[in-house]
Amino acid sequence: MSIDVFLEQELLGVSHPGRYLGIEVNACRKAFARAEVRWALIYPDAYEIGMSNLGLSILYEIINERADAMADRAYLPWIDMQERLIAAAVPLFGLESREPLAAFDILGITLQHELTYTNVVRVLDLARVPLLASQRDSNSPLVIGGGPGAFNPEPVAELFDLLVLGDGEEAVLEITQAVKNWKESGARDRSGFLKECAQVAGVYVPSLYRISYRPDGAIDSIEADAGAPYPVKKRTLANLDAWIYPKKPLVPLIESIHDRVSVELFRGCTRGCRFCQAGMIYRPVRERDAKLLGDWARELVANTGCDELSLASLNSADYGSILSLSDAIAREMERIHVAVSVPSLRTDSFSVQLASRLRRVKRTGLTLAPEAGSSKVRAAINKGVSEDDLMRAVAAAYGEGWRKIKLYFMVGLPGENENDVEEICSVARRIIREGDDGRPAKGLKLSLSISTFVPKPHTPLQWAAQMPLHEIARRHFILKEGLRMKGINLRRHSREMSYLEGIFSRGDRRLLPAIIAAGRQGCFDGWSEFFSWPRWQAALAAEGLDPAWYVERERPRDEIMPWDHLHAGVERDYLWQEYEKARAGIFTPDCRFDGCTSCGACPEPRIQKRAPVEASS
Amino acid sequence: MNRVLIKYSKKEEAALLSHRETMRSLERALRRSGLPIAFTLGYNPRPRMSFSPALPLGVAAEAEYVEVSLEGEADLESAKQIMNYSLPRGLSITGIQELAATMPKLSKWTCYGLYCVPGGDGDVFLLLSLAGPKQGRLKDGLQALSQRLALPESAELKGISRVGLYASQEEVFEDAGEPVYYFDGESRELMTIAGNI
Repeated sequence: MSIDVFLEQELLGVSHPGRYLGIEVNACRKAFARAEVRWALIYPDAYEIGMSNLGLSILYEIINERADAMADRAYLPWIDMQERLIAAAVPLFGLESREPLAAFDILGITLQHELTYTNVVRVLDLARVPLLASQRDSNSPLVIGGGPGAFNPEPVAELFDLLVLGDGEEAVLEITQAVKNWKESGARDRSGFLKECAQVAGVYVPSLYRISYRPDGAIDSIEADAGAPYPVKKRTLANLDAWIYPKKPLVPLIESIHDRVSVELFRGCTRGCRFCQAGMIYRPVRERDAKLLGDWARELVANTGCDELSLASLNSADYGSILSLSDAIAREMERIHVAVSVPSLRTDSFSVQLASRLRRVKRTGLTLAPEAGSSKVRAAINKGVSEDDLMRAVAAAYGEGWRKIKLYFMVGLPGENENDVEEICSVARRIIREGDDGRPAKGLKLSLSISTFVPKPHTPLQWAAQMPLHEIARRHFILKEGLRMKGINLRRHSREMSYLEGIFSRGDRRLLPAIIAAGRQGCFDGWSEFFSWPRWQAALAAEGLDPAWYVERERPRDEIMPWDHLHAGVERDYLWQEYEKARAGIFTPDCRFDGCTSCGACPEPRIQKRAPVEASS
Repeated sequence: MNRVLIKYSKKEEAALLSHRETMRSLERALRRSGLPIAFTLGYNPRPRMSFSPALPLGVAAEAEYVEVSLEGEADLESAKQIMNYSLPRGLSITGIQELAATMPKLSKWTCYGLYCVPGGDGDVFLLLSLAGPKQGRLKDGLQALSQRLALPESAELKGISRVGLYASQEEVFEDAGEPVYYFDGESRELMTIAGNI
């Protein structure tokens, strides 16, 4: 059955047919037949999640600007659509071209989160593309991975012909050119071609690396084939001002998780929170020019009609001239009734002041992330915030009229005991009771969002143990008991999901058979209605894998990590030094305000960071 | 405050956009159009706009409407052009006109919907009340129609389009050929109505 006929018959019967139409405003819809290099950019989760991803929309525009190339898109269809595709034996297709994914030259899959690994398996199965890179021949598309997950893709590495580490803007163009040349030469000798690709900066070809294991389970060695780089170094754009993308982003047809346009103020963050992977792998900080950002914001709103603009980055209050920039943008946007928001705020009154100045059009809630309840644990993770800072920030927000405040905390952090968790309760109670200047905060609704700490590769806490499930359960219980109070709403993230995330986060290639088996039984692991921990326990047990070995062990300093052949910029020795400082509770300042900490992320010559003009350090 | 009436059609894949999704797309196109849209007051200002009654998912349309309040003079023709390249494929603006102050609100005159149903021997027209006690559901109307005309049993709404919205039954005959079947949602009866031509 042709894809067109299939859609004609089935679209009316599935939930949200808008997910599969491909008629979005700003869709390029380039002719499949005429393109020499055809990319399908794939977000392996539901449409409404994938459409909000900034990385893919950047690449979509960059590729489509090339006259000889095209980029189409695909997402993981919802369960009802998956069933219909399978029943009709119709392969997964590009939304705009309606061509089978297997007919594209390149499938570019972003790895944003460990819990999408089974979705990747599903996508490839539905596309009828051989699952393992080693099973593919010249008739199969190249399967390319990217995104933060590429910094330890090992659990799914063998599904990919290659992955790109770091900024993708230049790399996709180089890969496009390489594929074009290869096709012109007849597209033979796939493995030879992949070897050539490995010479492109930032490109990791998993098949060129051999992993061996010791009897105790740890990695014995990672060996690169002759000519393959060791380590593979991530790609870093030095000048973001030359890459203002996307300018004409796709406008989602159905309501998506982030229904807004974003200008990225800067990339990278050097606050140095020791749990934060983004804060390590996206270094160094590279700011964009304020004038370009203003023009970009105007263009984005004019090209989409969106009613909300986000000033995005890992910590927007840190942008050098954030107050003048946000004032100028907010004033302009107010005239056209567009709300301006800042996605992530530090826990201090400067940030609250910033948010308050932006809140001209829409009164939204305020989110702060103190991350840990006690000063001891905050010192361990290098979150340089005191309880007084938090109280001041909340008081400032309350004074500015906010009545809904959301606080993010983590449990299970290294060195944390039950008293530290109790402190989350006491600080929340203190906020409600004392609120503004010691009087109860009338009408304040405090929402606490509790996640579980998962150690991430390339961070100082990559050696740390993740807490066993029963320990997290106890902490959840303490929170539930301690926060039975009017005005406080508690949301605890599924501990089993975080545990699974922990297995993959620092996992190795031996996990793949379990992932494939689990992916053939289910998917959408990030969705609580589909996630099944017993299914995962069975899948892991069937492969003889011990989850606790991956998750709950503190790893010795010299243990070879599955990602040791992948280099994110920050040096391993620096990470270890930070790990020791975490255990000693010693603060590491931000190199934008104090001296260089020699983390290793800046290439030579050192990338110029702008001086902090307004931000209080 | 001026009001403008925007007429649009919804065809092909766009028929599969829900009412809510269609409203969002139209709002975004309006924001891009350069029209000086009036906004509601309050913490979360919304454009002052209203839409013709919701279409069931999958049903195409020839002539649907959005009414928008404006704060000043506007270049309607240019707004129409901009909106037409700012909409998902399949949605298009077919007309835009200023409304005199005496003209009733959209909700006052979009009382009847006329649906064109592909039948074995040419198109059949089905009329429904869209509000009030006699309001009828398209699904029920179609069922009654299939029984009456022995049309092939089809629970789906494929190929059906709403061709017009009217204030009264009499207006219908400006657009439809005869016969027109009217489904009364209260009595659940299907009756033939004729124009005064």
